[in-house]
Amino acid sequence: MMKMVPFAIQQSEQDGVYTLKLSGELDLSVVPQLQKSLQHVLERTDVALSLHLGGLTYIDSTGIGIIVSILKARDAINAPFYVQEIPSSIRRLFDLTGLSGYLKEGTEAQG
Amino acid sequence: MKAIGLQIPAQAEYIDVARSCLYGVAVKLGFTFEDIEDMKVALSEACNNAVLHGGAEGQEVIDISFQPGDGVLVISVTNNGPSFLYETAKHDSLPLQGQDSSELRVGGLGIYLMEALMDEVSVQSLEGSTEVRLLKYKS
Repeated sequence: MMKMVPFAIQQSEQDGVYTLKLSGELDLSVVPQLQKSLQHVLERTDVALSLHLGGLTYIDSTGIGIIVSILKARDAINAPFYVQEIPSSIRRLFDLTGLSGYLKEGTEAQG
Repeated sequence: MKAIGLQIPAQAEYIDVARSCLYGVAVKLGFTFEDIEDMKVALSEACNNAVLHGGAEGQEVIDISFQPGDGVLVISVTNNGPSFLYETAKHDSLPLQGQDSSELRVGGLGIYLMEALMDEVSVQSLEGSTEVRLLKYKS
């Protein structure tokens, strides 16, 4: 059965890594909420930004667009950005759109 | 199975209802999990377009119909509002490409995903309304 999990963001900072754990459905309706959460950390060069996607049940092109914009913003200031725990249904969309080729994944966040 | 219709307000927070309804219809028709995921994304992208490029937010509606055929499901998404230049958008619709992230575009992936995930996509723009038809064969 398909479960409707509401979108949620959990934020934490530890040992130089700022982590955003996303869960539920990341679509057009929650884009402003995610953008707001990112606002204060996107430009920080003193931490690595890590996005955990393990709890995501769905993503659309606007969600993928946000990840592209994070990638661009972090690269532009030469600050680390990592993505972790990509669910298989979401990885398929990352592969299809070509996003996978630009993402740094997994435990490299500790590196 | 007969056709099923659904009308939602043309606002982002109702698109998940369209996905839930599609899930129910597609399970009843015996589509695979992967096909259902593909259709969920494509339907949502069609709704996104209607919300983003349709008429004044808050007043318009999106009409969705699920039309089952022999081993096939046709999903029609119609909204009022200015006709959307689909052919132009389709022409510009490509996966991400560039030497590094600074060359990547933000946005514009919705139509690309619809095309990639469905077997057929067609758009009819009439004066004052746009209909997107998404077709998926059972695998």
